[in-house]
Amino acid sequence: MNKVALSLRVNGESHDVVVEPRKLLSDALREDCRLTGTHVGCEHGVCGACTVLVDGRPVRSCLSFAVQAAGHEITTIEAVAQGGQLSALQQALHEEHGLQCGFCTPGIVMTFEAFLRENPDPSEAQIREALSGNLCRCTGYQNIVAAIKKAAAQMQGGGGYVTP
Amino acid sequence: MKPAGFSFHRPRTLNEALDLLAAHGDTAKLIAGGQSLVPVMNMRLAAPAELIDINDLPDLAEIRYQGEFVEVGALTRHHQLAESELVRSRCPLLAQAAATIGHYAIRQRGTIGGSLAHADPTAQLPLIAVTLSAEIDIASSRGRRTLSAADFFLSVMTTALEPDEIVVAIRFPVMVPGEGCAFRFFNRRLSDFAIVAVAATITVEKMRIAGLHLGIGGVAPVPLAYVDLCQRFIGQAADSGRVRELAQAVRDAVEPEDNPRISAEYRRELVQTLTERALTLALDEAKGNAA
Amino acid sequence: MSHPEFLYIGKPGSRKEDYRFLTGHGRYLDDIEVPGALHACFVRSPHAHARIVSIDIDAAKTMPGVLTIVTGRELSEWTGKLRLAPPIDGLHPVEMTTLPVDRVRFQGDPVACIVATDRYLAEDAAEQVMVDYEMLEAVTDMWQALEPGAPKVDETLPSNLLSHQSYAHGDLTARKREAHRVIESTFSQHRQTHIPIETRGCIAIWDQGREHLSFHVGCQAPHPYRTQLAARLRLPETQVTVISPDVGGAFGQKITLYREELTVAALARHLKRPVRWREDRLENLTASAQAREDFCRTRAAVDADGRLLGLELEILEDFGAYCFYPGNYLARVVAMILTGPYKVQDYAFDVKVVLTNKVGNAPMRAPMSVTSWVMEGTMDAIARELGRDPVEIRRINMLSAADLPYTMATKEVLADITPRETLEAGLAAIDYAGFRARQTEARRTGRYLGLGICAVVESTTYGSAFYKAAGIPGSGHEAAWVRIEPTGVVNASVGLGPTGQGYETTMANAVAEGLGVSPQQIRIHLGNTDIAPYGMGSRGARGGTAGGGTLYLCALDARQKVIAIAAKMLGIPDPALLRLIDGRVERREGSEWTPTHVGLADIARTAYLDPTALPQGMSPGLEFHKTYDPPPMTYSNATHFCEVEVDTATGGIRLSRYLVAEDCGTLLSPTVVEGQQHGAIAMGLSGALFEHVQYDETGQNLSGSFADYLVATAHELPNFEILPMHTPNRLTPAGLKGMAEGGVMGAIGAVTNAVNDALAPFGVVVNRQPLTPMYLRDLLRGKIQEPVAK
Repeated sequence: MNKVALSLRVNGESHDVVVEPRKLLSDALREDCRLTGTHVGCEHGVCGACTVLVDGRPVRSCLSFAVQAAGHEITTIEAVAQGGQLSALQQALHEEHGLQCGFCTPGIVMTFEAFLRENPDPSEAQIREALSGNLCRCTGYQNIVAAIKKAAAQMQGGGGYVTP
Repeated sequence: MKPAGFSFHRPRTLNEALDLLAAHGDTAKLIAGGQSLVPVMNMRLAAPAELIDINDLPDLAEIRYQGEFVEVGALTRHHQLAESELVRSRCPLLAQAAATIGHYAIRQRGTIGGSLAHADPTAQLPLIAVTLSAEIDIASSRGRRTLSAADFFLSVMTTALEPDEIVVAIRFPVMVPGEGCAFRFFNRRLSDFAIVAVAATITVEKMRIAGLHLGIGGVAPVPLAYVDLCQRFIGQAADSGRVRELAQAVRDAVEPEDNPRISAEYRRELVQTLTERALTLALDEAKGNAA
Repeated sequence: MSHPEFLYIGKPGSRKEDYRFLTGHGRYLDDIEVPGALHACFVRSPHAHARIVSIDIDAAKTMPGVLTIVTGRELSEWTGKLRLAPPIDGLHPVEMTTLPVDRVRFQGDPVACIVATDRYLAEDAAEQVMVDYEMLEAVTDMWQALEPGAPKVDETLPSNLLSHQSYAHGDLTARKREAHRVIESTFSQHRQTHIPIETRGCIAIWDQGREHLSFHVGCQAPHPYRTQLAARLRLPETQVTVISPDVGGAFGQKITLYREELTVAALARHLKRPVRWREDRLENLTASAQAREDFCRTRAAVDADGRLLGLELEILEDFGAYCFYPGNYLARVVAMILTGPYKVQDYAFDVKVVLTNKVGNAPMRAPMSVTSWVMEGTMDAIARELGRDPVEIRRINMLSAADLPYTMATKEVLADITPRETLEAGLAAIDYAGFRARQTEARRTGRYLGLGICAVVESTTYGSAFYKAAGIPGSGHEAAWVRIEPTGVVNASVGLGPTGQGYETTMANAVAEGLGVSPQQIRIHLGNTDIAPYGMGSRGARGGTAGGGTLYLCALDARQKVIAIAAKMLGIPDPALLRLIDGRVERREGSEWTPTHVGLADIARTAYLDPTALPQGMSPGLEFHKTYDPPPMTYSNATHFCEVEVDTATGGIRLSRYLVAEDCGTLLSPTVVEGQQHGAIAMGLSGALFEHVQYDETGQNLSGSFADYLVATAHELPNFEILPMHTPNRLTPAGLKGMAEGGVMGAIGAVTNAVNDALAPFGVVVNRQPLTPMYLRDLLRGKIQEPVAK
């Protein structure tokens, strides 16, 4: 077992971990950094539940090794709500009933926090296309799409965070 | 599904990477985007003893315009390719095809070098490379060489790359005046690999076909460009009748594999339908871009 | 549409449980930290059918991090067998050991369990376990399974025929003789699997001091699970606690006690250390539980107008290799409710269920999913055969309000359903005449649009009387408790198992309505068998009626005592002059209600801390318990409409529009109900179009990853328009009916009927799923001019 010592920078904090090179980033975040908001759904990059941001870009953490993430800024779901305030997207998901069991939700939030920053005024088709990388078995997607549209409008109007 | 163990390397320069490849050869795998490699490792269908992470290599993600070519660095991510103004204006077929790869999240990570090296028979970028007769620059500690796309792809998931070699850049010819292009494919869902994909460019001069490139993916172990077939149509009238004939000719020329899930007949039908649709679009565009 | 007199039930609103899920603070199975827990991993058979000759664990045992490796033999000593032998005619009893000892029956059957310090190391060791198998012939096709001489999946059975039931009512032979036509149709539904985004898993913690097992597992029915687990471990129920945490979806896959979970529990007790297991996606796709593979044939005897004189149904179901449930159950429901909204008394069915060398079946959201497709496909076939409009055929045969209550040929009583109303309202909303005009116009330009209609009558909640009449052991009742705390807030619990349906919100609404306090004052506790009362769990669509109903009734009991105390405190002799609204007592003065100074907190303080001030003879405290047995059967209904366009050149299907007119009775939360409907329709469409568990002839599973087992994404699905037309049930508390599975039934039928409508000009009929482009092209090839480019 050739373990290596790394420093992972997650949500602005450093975590010193000792892991085998093969340890997936998803597992390292959950077990070694104790941030269990990132979920594991398939381990082959299809369901999107494990999506985190690496240097601001969405990455499937199940397709990345923890050793690869050293030196980069990782953002997980735990960092999205700030000071108890939900982001516009989180609030919109709540208002539009865009989650049921909640297992796919963090992956969707992370994907779209990034997507909406680059695509502030997406059409429904564009949203559905981007959302096709996240599988949800509960909602049928419609309310998630409505939430993303609502959040986009909110963010365009200058509202980033809302008090719950 | 946890992968088997490996030793991890993170070279800072291309030469470092090449030395590692030379040292480990067959037991090493390069990792760039990881979107194709890691799933296979997680399922333990691949278990390289050495993993060489090339994401840090500088200068391999540039897109440069060089007169007759657009040169794309191997580490260029799909979304960069799809959104690059340079590629969209100079080599629109490439940008259009890149924009259809997977979905938003996959396009953030996947690289052109990785896609070519992976050589899935229906992937977009191998098809575009073959259709446009792209040139592929390859490096190893033994030196450099260039292969044409047709010579690069040997079979399903098999390329001419030696174990100690890495793709560094790919050169695509730029669009010419009077040219139109189209990329058409059919899949079950948005982000699936295509069952059949068709890439086409057509150049029109004085209402005649002055240039024609046609590439088909999904009918052979590698994407194929039907160069001789296209030659036969040079000089003919650039109209819908010719397009229909061409689509029929391509349908007759392809020899897809027959299997219980997808019959050879079905693939042939798709080839004809998609070729006709692609060329119709390309022709309209060409007429609009007439010199 | 909410019932006008409800204050809390029926009001749209956001869910109470969202915050933790949105912020990554949900507590799913794998998130629970258990210091020192060991990790389990299973060695599985690569063969579909084989004798286990030997298992060599010598090399694996020495691998880093490995503590122990066990096989079926050890587990036979530590645990009892499962015997499934309900007293049902035509159903063979079956037995199952914890892990196979002698034979494996499907590719993926677990044969050994490795326990190591982490999952990575456990998987390394699993690769080193050497199992010597003697290959046996496998049977992977349900027809083949029925043939004499077919390889036997279960050696204790005379053949692969697990279950066979038939029934006849009226005189079908006579009806067929008299008929203008007898129209035969077939329907082949393919094998699917549940794929919750969170796979299965469990954590077993054995307390050696108390000799008590705490078992964390995502579970839809915690108490029945606890009973089973205790029995298999040969422990009294007092020594086992089952705790279901947040669950990332279940859809029927997380009801029964499976072999892997039982193995982990036994290991924890044996090792006296906590052991945990997480099913990975490969296991979930290939070795968990599957569903839906069945073949149905109908023969409809009709008169010249298309009126149904008699109907015959045959079903053959492929149940896989193991029985996690009684084999007759699922197919039996289909046969029982098939005629749904139609009037026909001469009816017969024959249902056969066979075993094959594939993963065993578990009910999957709408286990009776094929029902409406079969019935509605039959109606469309009648229309096609007689050259009539499919809507007219439905109108001639469908139940009207005047026909209710209607006793079906199977003795089921239909009441308080509105199939005709939802059909007509939906037709108007989708502009049926307008569609036909557009369809005609489109055909002129070589475009093929289709509209499919699917009427659904969904059996949601089974009462104990139903089980008794059907000879199935088991109860349909539910249990609840409500406790008003000394400070006036309310804790409540019910025996359901949440897996994403929003019970913390809907059940709070039920309590709120029964008692008279805001849902914000109520917390619902679920999933822990030590805390929740013994209930039958969440299955079918019983949560609303059985769960919500019991809580509502329990809360009404609470209200009665609360008002009686308030009456004493206020010196008002007649409790009818008082009511509780938002936790405040109001008194009636003439026709007006005015607030008093007494609130629930005051009443609670008195009840707990000053009991001598209570009314004469009243006991202290405000804790209530209730059980409720719903009527034998409760139904909700809907009519689904799906518009498609088929690209005849490629066989591709585009879903242009989807609308459902629904009557789900009283809604605990319209918001949650809407979400459930979306999810059910999405699952039905995804199944009909994309999902397919495929095995080759040797029993190798060909769909072991999401690259092969395709699921609909946001891009493939349309928006779902919902037309609410809710009417209450007159027998259930608050008029609840329940829903959540009918969407699957409707979607499967609506999309298939739509494709047939689109392809009508070519004289082809799709009668199997999934509706792949390749299948459509196979049907069209030769029937159509060379495709025109668009």
